[in-house]
Amino acid sequence: MNKTMRDAFLDKLYDIARADSRVILISNDFGAPSLDKYREDLPEQFIHIGIAEQNMVNVAAGLAMAGKIVYLYSIAPFLPLRCYEQMRVHMALRRPNVTAVAVGAGYSYDLSGPTHQSLEDIALMTALPGMAVYSPSDSMLGAALAQMTYEDPGPKYIRFDREKLQPQYAASVNFSEGLATLRKGADLVIIATGYMVQQALKIAEKLEQNSVTAGVIDLYRPKPLNGDLLLKEIGKAKRVVTLDESFVNSGIGSIVSGLVMDYDSEIRVKRFGTPDRFMPPGRSRSQLHRLCGLDVETVAGEILRLVRN
Amino acid sequence: MAKHNNANLIPANIPTLQEKARISRRHILEMCTRAGEGRIASAFSCTELLVSLFQGRILRFDASKPEWDERDRFIMSKSPGAVGLYPILADLGFFPADELEKFCSADGMLGPYGDTVPGVEAVWGSLGHGLGVGAGLALAAKLDKNDYMTVVMIGDGETYEGSIWEAAMFAAHHKLDNLVAITDRNGICTIDFTENCLKLDPLEDKWKSFGWDAVTIDGHSYDEIFTAFKDFHNRKSNKPLMVIANTIKGKGVSVLENNPMGHIMIPSGNVLEQARQELNK
Repeated sequence: MNKTMRDAFLDKLYDIARADSRVILISNDFGAPSLDKYREDLPEQFIHIGIAEQNMVNVAAGLAMAGKIVYLYSIAPFLPLRCYEQMRVHMALRRPNVTAVAVGAGYSYDLSGPTHQSLEDIALMTALPGMAVYSPSDSMLGAALAQMTYEDPGPKYIRFDREKLQPQYAASVNFSEGLATLRKGADLVIIATGYMVQQALKIAEKLEQNSVTAGVIDLYRPKPLNGDLLLKEIGKAKRVVTLDESFVNSGIGSIVSGLVMDYDSEIRVKRFGTPDRFMPPGRSRSQLHRLCGLDVETVAGEILRLVRN
Repeated sequence: MAKHNNANLIPANIPTLQEKARISRRHILEMCTRAGEGRIASAFSCTELLVSLFQGRILRFDASKPEWDERDRFIMSKSPGAVGLYPILADLGFFPADELEKFCSADGMLGPYGDTVPGVEAVWGSLGHGLGVGAGLALAAKLDKNDYMTVVMIGDGETYEGSIWEAAMFAAHHKLDNLVAITDRNGICTIDFTENCLKLDPLEDKWKSFGWDAVTIDGHSYDEIFTAFKDFHNRKSNKPLMVIANTIKGKGVSVLENNPMGHIMIPSGNVLEQARQELNK
């Protein structure tokens, strides 16, 4: 059964926490069906902090100083936006074993409008030195992140999509590389993250119908960026397209562009993302994508124009 | 290390502690003038409090083992006062005394707002964090059935931060009677008196209404400090405790005392000479 990535993660975390009483999960009044079992069976390892994100990070820092392994669980974007400075001091600077888990990446909360959408978090979190940043594309990866973050002693940030996404991975996949090629193609490579990975595959199909072969790379760990592997996977393609719901200057497009420049590469990069303005509330995700030029038709058409010019 | 009864320390040791405080202020003055950095006035308002906690041994610690599991946890949330800790921790042997001469230099380990300082859990340059972190430490002690106490010193100006009140609610709700906070109530933030900026009074009532025990003392009186901490390790309450310590910012040097412009002042020339003389008495 396909679960949301959040539920897949929390189910695994429940097993880990049952076996290790050091694991503590702090929620800021945010729940999930998969969290109910955890709350009921492990009451000493669950803290309802109230709607108080600054205190959530501060208390986590104190617990971690006493040897606890702490998970923060919140709807994005209040984690990280409301408590960014606390995350900077207590996670990035002091490097405890704390994982911030934000549910609602990109336009997950489509109808709710801009206050509930998370379009800057990749830029904010990757800006912090030493912060690992995960942006998974399916629930298999979501589940794997429970064990991966438990074993990694540093600060980590995970942005989960709220929806059930199309499965991409088998259970046996090793996610330590930070990215994966999901489809090969010679003409260009689409690098996508989170929800947009499944969209990238649809775009590649569309391009195929127009005799353009596009590869698709899932960049599920924007930081630390596995630059060597990313360039290797891009291979001989001279053109890269990035696809991310984030504001265009705040997403993986800027990360990939920076990599290409730092390597003095001749690869040409085109970034697709949300233009530099907030979108209106009350729109579905597909409507928002059309408003942003992120829908399959528009992106595929734009790519064809670029490739044929 | 044997547990101790704080109350027994009061009468005999006061003259010694008074001298320790004087020496500490002398060091602070020289460290900050040498470095051209550090918040002298903020450190002077809490000198007697820090001397009592450490040299007066209200806190349980072993300077030869800073990471000792049973140590009480102290957090200096009021980071501008961090420089006030250093002469005291050096005197106790947490680190060599020559670190004081290297304050704020590339050769030394002591910065203006602290970083990793043996003897304290944490010092940050950023305000409003320490009480929540202390609450996390205190909650961990409860979960792990450890009997260490957690003490957090905050500034009165720091009290404006919303995160202080988030932590206040949290600590009361979780009945963290192993958490004690001290407010260095010197009445001045960076550029003005607190009561001109945003009124904090009645501060004790605010903490009580948040579910804390709260007492107000003279933060320069050893009698009152030790009385407030008399049953520190055996508290008979299920609430966290706030000790509001009324103090004088810049205490000990007349040009700095209660001077709303004194926060960043580092004396020089004749003013420095006068400050030295006042602290030599």
